[in-house]
Amino acid sequence: MVLRTFSSRMRWWVAVEIIERILAEGGKRADEVEVIAVSGSSVSADLRKRKVSHAHETRDFGLGIRTIRNGRIGSSSTSDPARWEQCLEAALASGNLATPQEWGGLPEPANLPRGNLSFDEKVSLDPATAGQLLQGILSGVETYECAEVTSASASLSVSEMTLANSHGILYSDRKTDVSVSAEAICGQSTGFEFDSSCGMDIDPAAVGKRAAFLATHSVNGKDVLTGTCDVILSPLAFAQILGQVIVPALSGRNVNAGRSYLAPFLGQQVFDPALSLYDDPHIPRGLGSSYWDAEGVPTRRLDFIREGTVGCFAYDLKTAYRYGKESTGSAVRGGAGGATSIGSHNLVVGGPRTDICDERALYVENLIGAHTANPMSGDFSVELTNPMWVENGTYGEPVRKAMLAGNAFALLKEIGGLGKETRVLGSMRLPAIRLNSQHIIGT
Amino acid sequence: MTDIRYWDVRHVAGQSTHIDIDNGVVESAGTSFFDKAVLRVLGTKGWGVIQIDNFTRPSGAAFEELIRSAANLAAITEESVSLAPATRRILPVPDVTEDPRTVSLEEKTELLSAIERAARREGVVNTRATYTERAEEVRFEDSSGTDLSCETCRSGYNVLAVASRNGAIQMGYEREHSLRGLNLRGKEEKGRSAADIAVALLDARPAKGGKMRAILDPELAGVFAHEAVGHASEGDLVQEGNSILAGKVGETIGSPLLTIVDDPSLPEFGFEPFDAEGVAVARTEIIRKGVLTSYLHSRETLAAIGNGTGGHARAMPGERPIVRMSNTFIEEGDANYEEILEACGNGILLIGSRGGEVDPGRGVFQFNAEYGYLVEKGEIGAMVRDVSLSGEILSTLHGIVLVGNDRKMHPGYCGKSGQSVPVSDGAPHVLLEDAVVGGSGDH
Repeated sequence: MVLRTFSSRMRWWVAVEIIERILAEGGKRADEVEVIAVSGSSVSADLRKRKVSHAHETRDFGLGIRTIRNGRIGSSSTSDPARWEQCLEAALASGNLATPQEWGGLPEPANLPRGNLSFDEKVSLDPATAGQLLQGILSGVETYECAEVTSASASLSVSEMTLANSHGILYSDRKTDVSVSAEAICGQSTGFEFDSSCGMDIDPAAVGKRAAFLATHSVNGKDVLTGTCDVILSPLAFAQILGQVIVPALSGRNVNAGRSYLAPFLGQQVFDPALSLYDDPHIPRGLGSSYWDAEGVPTRRLDFIREGTVGCFAYDLKTAYRYGKESTGSAVRGGAGGATSIGSHNLVVGGPRTDICDERALYVENLIGAHTANPMSGDFSVELTNPMWVENGTYGEPVRKAMLAGNAFALLKEIGGLGKETRVLGSMRLPAIRLNSQHIIGT
Repeated sequence: MTDIRYWDVRHVAGQSTHIDIDNGVVESAGTSFFDKAVLRVLGTKGWGVIQIDNFTRPSGAAFEELIRSAANLAAITEESVSLAPATRRILPVPDVTEDPRTVSLEEKTELLSAIERAARREGVVNTRATYTERAEEVRFEDSSGTDLSCETCRSGYNVLAVASRNGAIQMGYEREHSLRGLNLRGKEEKGRSAADIAVALLDARPAKGGKMRAILDPELAGVFAHEAVGHASEGDLVQEGNSILAGKVGETIGSPLLTIVDDPSLPEFGFEPFDAEGVAVARTEIIRKGVLTSYLHSRETLAAIGNGTGGHARAMPGERPIVRMSNTFIEEGDANYEEILEACGNGILLIGSRGGEVDPGRGVFQFNAEYGYLVEKGEIGAMVRDVSLSGEILSTLHGIVLVGNDRKMHPGYCGKSGQSVPVSDGAPHVLLEDAVVGGSGDH
């Protein structure tokens, strides 16, 4: 691609030169300085019905600065590298307002493995490739006669993150991402599917086919009565509950601030012994994989829930120093402009796998309103997408409309089993889950 | 450049300020800077779009080369896009009472701290308050010679209180956001209110799910208008065939008491002086007395499907404009609150909003109240927690049996296609017959 006019097209060594100047200047005025530079490019294309309507290209750059002076942490960011001095001033000014806290220093350089865990050099940012992915989606949708694509998109991106601090850390990591998504409709019945990978090994036709299947199979849903029944949450629906309720409760900040239901239960059996949950930051080709976290702390496997027992909580440096803990390498950052926060890299659900679709249950593909679940108490009541009965391993009669109400902490205390297939959903890897005797509100 | 039918550039630069106070500790307080532009080119068929960080408008051959890059992207598109004629007009940005940018970060931190302190009371284990302020300078120009600029500054705060007793944990929060100036002074009662809600919720019981009469307060009824009607009336969804309201203009789809409006010209949180395509903004009646009258449109969707008005394209900085709501509300009726309570008889009163979601193609929505009260014989009874409401758009709108005379608007943010924009929703109290209420309780 020819994009010579972009000032944002930062070459890596240009970024390093600015980083070194910030470290030198900031080092005179603060005890410690940290700089993060993120640059990225992407191409994408969108379908409206069967035709490509848009092709996009992006070039981003972001620079984030943190300064620490007498336990006061300041931060700022800019998308303009030429404004680094103003950004440094803003970081120092912000530190003046922050409450001083216990602080044991930014990390020293560590001897970490080299190489990029989620980078595939075969990904080329060519709009024609995005167009081919969209054609793949269309071919998959055609498997079902009734289904039509309403919209679909395909994108390819490359990004590079460089992290440096005044102790001599200078780490760099490149990532690639290939993503497709498709929405299909059959009458008034909708289906949605997506997939992503760091390489070209995704199957757009399978994505289109699944979206079309969901739309087609949910036509003429029957009413269901209010009552209890066994429910199977798809990996996606399960991920929505985990992400909205369980993951925040594992954050060391929420645990120590009184915002986590799990806080009193470290080392205790809280969930079904068939359930484990861990962060594995070193999975080859994992979308969240990295040898170091957003503060340069080496990452490692964290067993949050081991056979139902709460094993540990996640900490970044700031929270760890404040509460006398150690960073677990769990600092994440939403690009250079985002603040450092506690998160995970590749969140994996472990535990014994069984055939969970043999006995009759209500299968749920997706939850409408999962973000309205109460992250403190775990209570939720959500509408179901593509609810359908499943029995003997096959999808049966669809249900027109139903809500599921319950408590995320309670429903994982006794699970009916984890499905055999593990699905990769961005940086989460998990199976479907069977939940016995759940509360359904029908029509 | 004969193959280039149109181009536009929307450049947004500015700064954002945030303050985060958690349990009395100033976690962070500072300012960051952004500068993003989006260039769209309409080729012989569809759009080529380029997002540019740190945009300096080139002139002459350099600008032509930039346009050419976007046109090269457009070359892969297949859909023939046309644009409806545009009316141009800039509305004055509403006056501000006190420009937040003229108040020091120190003073804003103190004011926010006072709100956070006010949320501390017996039973409350955590208090947190955040402030955000975002100033944007927007410049829009296009190939027809349009050249418009404006400047806005939105600011506001959230305060959260977490109450805990015997392992139970509940939250209460208040939030206010405005484009009419700083709103941090003398707001301690909002902190107290958040705390009182959190503590009261410890004794609330889960609502019993099922069909019942529901009174929606102005905030929740506003979210109802947004989720149940607003999204499905967005022209891009209608054009994709992904809205249940497609083909229904002129049809009665709801109670004759119901008029729903989207109006970006109102001086509320979703105000726009002109839309993201430089088009004049104005009031659009989506539903008038129960009859679907208009879709919301961009220039492209207006040309493609008609039936409505333009001026509803919006975008985040650097993102392409898409059809969005702005200030969406149910028009006032003539019932007063007491009449609505009395008419409800036995049912539920739902208050506040934790958000909602809709599947516009299927026509099913969900939204969640912060809390509610049972209504027994027209009297307010016990408090209930974690109540959602879901429904099918086409049947639910007929269930509105009373519309109050006490409309209020509430600010918030709405997400669509990865873009979040400021909006406001509002309504008077509304009585809904046969509402499907989600809750896990037995009472």
